Parts: sequence; C-alpha cells; structure tokens
Amino acid sequence: MTRGAYISGFGHGAFILWALFGGFFISARDPLPVQAADVSLISSEEFAALSLPNDAPIVPFDAPVPVEPGAPDDAPDIVPATETAPEPPKPVVVETPDQETPPVAPQEVLEPATDVSDQPPALQTPPEAQTSPDVAPSDDTPIPAPAPRVAPVAAAPPAPDVEIADTTAPEVVPDETADTVAEQTPATAPQEAATEIVTEAETPSSAPVVSVRPTARPARPVQVAAPVSDPVENAVAEAVASTAPDPVTPTGPPLTGSEKEGFRVAVGRCWNVDGGSAAARVTVTVGFSLDRSSKVVANSLKLIEATDGEARAVNAAYEAARRAIIRCGAKGFDLPLEKYSRWQNIEMTFNPEGMRIK
Amino acid sequence: MRTLLAMMMGVGLFLAAPVWAQETGGPLRIEITEGVIEPLPIAVPDFIAENPAAAELAVNIGRVIAADLIGTGLFREIPHAAYISTPTSFSAPVQYSDWKAINAQGLVSGAVSTGSNGEITVKFRVFDVFSDAQLGDGLQFGGSANSWRRMAHKVADAVYSRITGEGGYFDSRVVFVSETGPKNQRAKRLAVMDYDGANVQFLTDASAIVLAPRFSPTGDRVLYTSYETGFPRVNILDVGTIERRALNVQAATLTFAPRFGPDGSAVVLSQSQGGNTDIYRTDVDGGPMVRLTSAPSIETAPGFSPDGGRIVFESDRSGTQQLYVMDANGGEATRISFGKGRYGTPVWSPRGDLIAFTKQANGRFHIGVMRTDGSEERLLTASFLDEGPTWSPNGRVIMFTRESKGAAGARALYSVDITGRNLRRVPTDLAGSDPAWSPLLR
Repeated sequence: MTRGAYISGFGHGAFILWALFGGFFISARDPLPVQAADVSLISSEEFAALSLPNDAPIVPFDAPVPVEPGAPDDAPDIVPATETAPEPPKPVVVETPDQETPPVAPQEVLEPATDVSDQPPALQTPPEAQTSPDVAPSDDTPIPAPAPRVAPVAAAPPAPDVEIADTTAPEVVPDETADTVAEQTPATAPQEAATEIVTEAETPSSAPVVSVRPTARPARPVQVAAPVSDPVENAVAEAVASTAPDPVTPTGPPLTGSEKEGFRVAVGRCWNVDGGSAAARVTVTVGFSLDRSSKVVANSLKLIEATDGEARAVNAAYEAARRAIIRCGAKGFDLPLEKYSRWQNIEMTFNPEGMRIK
Repeated sequence: MRTLLAMMMGVGLFLAAPVWAQETGGPLRIEITEGVIEPLPIAVPDFIAENPAAAELAVNIGRVIAADLIGTGLFREIPHAAYISTPTSFSAPVQYSDWKAINAQGLVSGAVSTGSNGEITVKFRVFDVFSDAQLGDGLQFGGSANSWRRMAHKVADAVYSRITGEGGYFDSRVVFVSETGPKNQRAKRLAVMDYDGANVQFLTDASAIVLAPRFSPTGDRVLYTSYETGFPRVNILDVGTIERRALNVQAATLTFAPRFGPDGSAVVLSQSQGGNTDIYRTDVDGGPMVRLTSAPSIETAPGFSPDGGRIVFESDRSGTQQLYVMDANGGEATRISFGKGRYGTPVWSPRGDLIAFTKQANGRFHIGVMRTDGSEERLLTASFLDEGPTWSPNGRVIMFTRESKGAAGARALYSVDITGRNLRRVPTDLAGSDPAWSPLLR
C-alpha cells in the first residue's frame, strides 16, 4: 500500500514537473521546411524552339584580361637608412664604407661631399605609391568616413544653417492661416558622427555614409493649453519636490525594456570615452538618486565599485561617468513618474570594453 | 508525499527567486556600454594680467595652453566670442551657469604677474563646470620671463593630467635631423626643439651627415650616428655643452642605430663587421661590446623595453624584414610580426604595452602599433613614405617622418594619436626627419 502510494506520488510528481518545466529543456521542433517551385508545362514544339541556336553572330571575346596589380617596381625600400646597415657605396661617390671590406685606413676615403645622401638609391626615385590599386580593401565591408565624433549611430554632416541637437527636426514656420499658431523653431540635426575610429590607413569606401530617406512630415503643431494652477497644490508639489527622496521599497510595475533602453541611451549620449586612455580600461559603477522630476539629487553621486586600475585612471573614469549623468540629466530624464519608486535609486555601470582601442 | 511536495515547492522557489528579488527591491541597475568619442569642449579665457607689464605674456601663455590641449585632439576650445562672462579676477568665484550655458565642460582660469627682477609668476585653476567644482588645487609656477613657454607647457600638462588622469607630454623636447637643400644634396644637422616645433636650436653643423639621434632617459645626452670620419660611427653628445665624443670605437667596425637603455648607462646598437651586422650591448662610459645576436642575416634597430628586460629589433633572418623580441642579455629571439609586408624600426612604448613600427605593404608605408607579443596590430597612417616612429613621454602620441613623393618631395615631422586620430604636421621652418622624443623635462 505504502509502496504503491510512493510510486504513484513519484510518477505524478514527475509528470507535474515535466508539465511545468519541460518547455525549458525541450525546444519545440519546427516542421521541416518544404521547398516548392513553380513549374509550367510546355509542349515538345515549344521546347525545340527554345533549344534552337541564336541567330546572333558570334563575336570573338577579346576583352583585356584583368591582371592582378602589383606593387610599384620603384617602391622605396622599407629599410630606413638610419636604422639599417649602410649600403655598399658606388665606386665614384664614396659616402658610406663597403660592408664587405671594412676600411682600415680612413685617409683612403674621400671626404663626404654635400651631394651624399644617406638614403638608399631606391629612395631617389620614389614610386607613384599613392596610386597603387592594392590599397583597396579586400572585402566589401563599407568603412565609415572619418568624423570628429564617434557615436553608436552614424550621422551625416548637418547643414550649415541647422542647429545641433539630439534629433533631426525640420524648421517650423508659423502658419497664420492655421487654427493654432505654432512657435517658430529652427531646424535641428545631430552632430556629424561615425560609428568607429577611421585611421588614415583605412581607405574609406565609396559606399554612401547614410541612406537617403524621405524626411518625415513634421508633426502638426498643437498649442497646449496652459494648466490651471492652484496655489495650494503648487506649494504642496514644490515642497514634495524639494525634499530629498525617501528610501522606500520599490512597488508597482517595473520599468519596461524600452524605458530602460531609453534611459541607457540618454546617458550614453553624454558619456565621452577616450578610447586610448588608461581610464578606458576601467569599469566603474556609480550610484545616484533622482528626485520626482527625474533630476539628479545633489551630492547623491558616489563611486560604488571600480575594476582594477590605477587610482588616477579610476578617478578619470568616475569623473567621465559623473559628467555624463549630470550633463544629460540636467533637464531630467524621461522616466515615468508612476514608477518613481523603481528609478529613485540607481546604480549605473559604465563599461567601456567595446569602446577602447584594441 | 509531504517530502515530495516540499521538494517541488523548493525547486519552484529556487527558480523564481532571482526574478522575485529583481522585482521587489534594490536600486535600478543599468549598464552603459556605448558612449561617444569626441573632443571635450573646454574654455581657456585669456589669463588675467595682474600688472600692466604682464599683459602680453598673459595672452600668450593662455594661447600656448589652449594650443597644447587642442593639439591632443581630446579637447575642443570654445571660441572667446561665445563667452557670456570672463573672469576678472583670479580669486573671483566662477559663474558656473555662464559656462554651462555654452556647454563648456572644463574651464581653465589663470593669472600672470611680473616681478621687478624679470621673474614671472603663473598661477591657474581648473574647473569641472557641470560638477560645479574645482579639479585639484590651484598651482603656481615661477621662473624667468624667457621661459614663459615652458611654464605654459607645464600648466597645460597639469590641466591635461587632471582631466584625463594621465601624464602630459607638453613640457618635452624633440631632437631631430634638420635638413636643407634639394633631395639629392641635403645638408643635415642635429637640432632640438620644443615638442610643438618652437625654439629650434642646432646641435651640430652641416659638415658631416648625421642620423638617428636618440635622447637619454634623462634628456641631457643624445646618441646619434655620424659620418664625420667617412664611416658611420655612434657619437654621444651632451645637450648642455654641445661636447661630443665617439662611443666605444673599435677598429674595422661600423656602428649605427644606437639607443639608450632605461637606466641611461646601457646602450644597444648595431655593429657591422666583415659584412655581417649584429646587435651589441655596451656601456655609455666604455666597456666591452657584448654581442647579443649571432646570425648571418642583418639584425638592427634594437630598442629596450621600459623595464630593461627585453630588446625588440628587426631582422631579415626569415627572408623578409620582421620584428623580433629577445632577452636583454641575448639568447633566442621570438618573432612577433607575421602580417603581410615588411616591418622595421620598432620602438617600445613608455607604457610598455605597445610597440610602434614602420611597415611597408602594397607599395605604401605605414606607422602602426602592436602588442608586445605581436597581437592586435593596428595601422595608424598610410602615405608615400612614413618611417621612424618615436613615442611621447606618456605613450599617447607617436611622432614620425613623412616624405612626400616626387623629386621635390620634402621630409617633415608628423604626429598621430595612438587611436589613429588627430594626424598633424609638426610645424618646423626647415625640413626634418628622424625625430626622437625626450622624457618630460624637470
């Protein structure tokens, strides 16, 4: 009786576990793909007609055969004269002694003349190296054009009369015939940026930097009515906003993925990384608090953790992170107020691994 | 049965615990992995002249500081015309809001005063505008009016260091070969200048060809190759007295490509004897020539690692010119360059993490860097002829020689950041080649 109960219980338990967690370990199998092709039936006469030789005359193909370009024959020797063994001199101009027979009596050697060059002879006739076709990239991967700014998203140079801003927006001109008159705002565009550092050694490809897309229709200007202010409510709101945030247990729904991503992008936009510095090898975690207007609470910024690195490098990495939070949070971050308890206290890790030069 | 149920509940709680903890407590954790790389906007208003005699110096010192910082490519100066307010007194409080409004992230303010004995005093402060705070304490330098450029470089070094967390390189000098005359008839003299091309002084005349000068670790002596006797010989020159002597001359040998060890006493160089070139080590004050390599191929361009434990050099023992690393006392060498093309003139970074080199591939010359084991090779430049890299004292910038093509092609000095950005020509009145950077001056 007892044994039967145990067997039954074990069997049922195993079935329940399989039902609950079996999906984690067993991936659903997709049905095998079936390839299909459209065919059409033709008659034997039609097939014979298709198989007839073309009436077009045969032209011998004598197009030039492409030859793999090589390096110019007169390319200068890499051996810098300053660092290599001196070349055996010509008999006429004795500038450098013959290595094969090191001279013993210096008086046998002519005085160095002013026309002596320490360069190897090849250097006297430099090649047209800059026209060498070998410098083209071997693959078809487009290389971004160099830009003074390196950012996650490439941006074309803005027009000269456009203001620099985070987003692209067309100029808004007041339309007097419209029902609502919008405030005039100038056109804005992001600063020119490339997605990676492009050195002189990397010849930019001819691929377009950005694809040309039709500009979005500007949003219809909407005049927002000024909110009716209640002095009492305003005073209460100001008092609440001015007080330091209370350490409360987060409640309510957590931030969505897009809200977190927006927050991440907002700070990353101001995080200026010097990829060649020692600070770019330090990951720091910075803690700070936000008030209800999503602005950084004064003096709440503190270094929580840093990976190994010299003290100066850690400090430089922390300062760069702190500047990013303060600069981009000066006007408040775009976070949902109803989830304030979720973003009141933040620990932000700045990991420059992907941005340091390799 | 109850045991089984307890086990099942335990498994369920174990799987759900992380999710539950993330949902109910603790701060919001965000990881930022993507930022931007752009010059930091910085404001360098004219330094305040604390007496009328210092007016011109105050402006000049401010301009040199700004030029130093902007020349790194890490900073961008905000034009003076954009300033909302300017400091009127060195001790006046900073109006952070005025500088935030023009997006200045750093602010350098300073003052200059002159004394009755011709001495000048330069003092400065650095501010992190968006943190409403001063970076470090204010500093003051004193010296003669003639050394105002050095004092400006020292201020710029301090500013650079406080903002980037790394040492600067502005108060340093460069020894190089100054060239005059056409390409096939060049007169060459050793010259020394500030890192930015100012204050050029000649160390030798043009009576003999001179090549490949190298500073000692203390910056007071220079090794170079001279054809004064008709043969290449390594000389050592005292920068202060311009006195020079041949280094450890041995009969029937040619010596060239010298370089100091990190302690300033050891020297490695190439010596050619009987048609074979190998690497030797000797002492700057005399002593035997210790042979470090023994191969029928050409071994040359040796250079010490910063700790003095290893030597990097170039050799064609494999059939093509490649880079090798060996112990500082010789022994088996390890090849570190394996890319397409030929490699030469390796130089170890002062930081010890990179080796700069010249590379020729596909008819073009490059300056590049690689890890000391040969990995992570990156080419920084490309031109008709680039060669002879030398490191800045902080290991951040590489200076080299670039020659333009054609019969009238001239040689000039260029610098580039190790990221490959900020390629600049070093302004010199005459053509120049073979630069060698000094350590920071004292």
